[in-house]
Amino acid sequence: MDEEKTTGKDLSRRQFFTKLGLGSMSIAAAGSVAFAYQYLEPNVLYEPSPVVNAGKPDRYPLDSVTLDVNSGIYIIHSQEGFFSVSAVCTHLGCLTAWKPELNMIACPCHGSKFQRNGAKIEGPAPKPLPWKRVWLNDDGDLLVDRSTDVPALARDSFVRV
Amino acid sequence: MADSKDFVAGVDSNAKKSPRRIVFITRRTSAQVKAETEEQVQTFPEVLFRAAVAIEVLAVILVWTALMFNAPLEGLADPSHTPNPAKAPWYFLGLQEMLHYFPPVVAGVLVPGLVVMALIVIPYFKVNIEADGLFLKDRQKRLRIFYVVAIGLSLFLLAFKVYAALVPTLIMAGLMLLASQCSSQSASPFRRYLAARPLSYWVMTWFLFELVVLTAIGTFFRGPGWSFIWPWQGS
Amino acid sequence: MAKTVDQYFNDVCETRVWRSIFRSGTGSSTLKRALAIQQNVFLHLFSTKVRTRMLSFSATWYLGTLTLGTFLILVATGIPLMLYYHPSVPQAYADTKDLQFVVSSGMFLRNLHRWSAHAMVFLVFAHMFKVFYRGAYRPPREFNWVIGVVLLLITLLLSYTGYLLPWDQLAYWAITVGSNIASAVPVMGEKIHFLLLGGNAVNANALLRFYVLHCMILPLTAMFFVAIHFWRIRKDGGLYAHSSEPSVLRANEESKTLTASGNPKEAK
Repeated sequence: MDEEKTTGKDLSRRQFFTKLGLGSMSIAAAGSVAFAYQYLEPNVLYEPSPVVNAGKPDRYPLDSVTLDVNSGIYIIHSQEGFFSVSAVCTHLGCLTAWKPELNMIACPCHGSKFQRNGAKIEGPAPKPLPWKRVWLNDDGDLLVDRSTDVPALARDSFVRV
Repeated sequence: MADSKDFVAGVDSNAKKSPRRIVFITRRTSAQVKAETEEQVQTFPEVLFRAAVAIEVLAVILVWTALMFNAPLEGLADPSHTPNPAKAPWYFLGLQEMLHYFPPVVAGVLVPGLVVMALIVIPYFKVNIEADGLFLKDRQKRLRIFYVVAIGLSLFLLAFKVYAALVPTLIMAGLMLLASQCSSQSASPFRRYLAARPLSYWVMTWFLFELVVLTAIGTFFRGPGWSFIWPWQGS
Repeated sequence: MAKTVDQYFNDVCETRVWRSIFRSGTGSSTLKRALAIQQNVFLHLFSTKVRTRMLSFSATWYLGTLTLGTFLILVATGIPLMLYYHPSVPQAYADTKDLQFVVSSGMFLRNLHRWSAHAMVFLVFAHMFKVFYRGAYRPPREFNWVIGVVLLLITLLLSYTGYLLPWDQLAYWAITVGSNIASAVPVMGEKIHFLLLGGNAVNANALLRFYVLHCMILPLTAMFFVAIHFWRIRKDGGLYAHSSEPSVLRANEESKTLTASGNPKEAK
């Protein structure tokens, strides 16, 4: 590049303006990138709430596994209490189905099979079906938060009624 | 061209119609082109940097405007309720003003269509290469034509009560009359300038004047029901 | 430290990857500067050299460049705006409100888009008048003038189609009035009206058609004609630089008379 002869540390006028120009352009570019990223991330989503109201607990008999196809979760009533497992297969996102005659959850897409507690029996799925947070609201309804995973089989992952 | 003539000439041409260069090649000489070598600079950086700076300045102005002033947004579109007045975007308000006087076929189709056709045709018209002043030649004849056109147009506008368009027309006619009285020997620089303006200038300036006046009236001086209001009176 | 940054940059410029992309490299020699234009797919629309007289600001006021600048700003703001806008009724209005009040920088983008649009219409008219008064429409530049008129119409159409998109009262009624003018065209008017709106009234079909026109068809058409416009400037002998045009040279030689104001006999 063309450089004027400078004495030691002195900047020529050209170098000064080049630095000034490039410097302010990089700051402007960095600022623009930051603002652009903020713009691209929506602040408001028009999607249904991740919290699902599953109704009164007595709708679910003991040892039952109930699939809610609209919200993609299983409500399971076991000896330890009520818990919820995601019905979305961890392989590639298909909606699984409960097979009572086989006592397992099966995914129609690539043949993954899970136990009712989410543990994988066989198939290409990499992970077990995650457990979702359940709790009772003031009206006594079972609520499930699909956006919050809880540890499988942990004491607090059950709701006792 | 190996014959005994002294030179070979080109075709007859009307320089005003289509400019051509004619070369006279005399025997025993070759055509010499005296090229005018004009000073040239590199596109990069000269042109590109100037363009970049111009666009940057423009961007700064527009960004500042965008930060200072908000774009308008009225209520949700309601087909059952027409706001009063219902105005087109500002660049169409000149047209909408004319719609007030003339039926849609004229103001909306005919006039814009003719304007566009006229614009397209301008450069193909008998091109006045030397661009003489309008009244510097054939003065009497041209003055007569001018009177006919100016008075005809003014009467037409008067008949339809298009005062908005009449006033600029009269002003331009006045200026053209003044130009016809001036020449390159006139006293003031302004008069000399007027005298030297060709017809294309007069027509275009009239058009520009009308455009500005009609748009300004449509923007600032029209209120509910397209009635005449003063700008400070309202919407 | 700056020296090492420069050194680092120079090292990168020597690598095979870099040189496979940027074949000519930078430099301030005439050759390098000419290559920077000529080897660039976008820039080689321009010639590598221009006459000095064409750079003068007072000749053109750079209005053409500024119009292009507003167009670029409009594309750069318009595309992000498309990400939050659903061209359906009445969702479009809700989205416009969202853009203003919910989306980060949405208000700014919308404002910038709107004011740049007004600026572009104004600049395109100013450019046309300046070209006319300069006499830059005369042969051999006639066709470029026609391309310019086409671009003027495209600009007005772009502004008009964009006007409907917020779907507020202003938009709805302005477009209703405008499309009714279209139906005043003799013989084909009603058909044109019907095709333009995709129906008999300004409704969901109209919004979608205007959206596609505004975001896809018209911008592509505009870019197409802008490219031709720039190409013709070059092929017609560059920007019109008054006193070096052949017709004026000849006129000057034939009769050395000047008007009293000191200019050669020429329109400005």
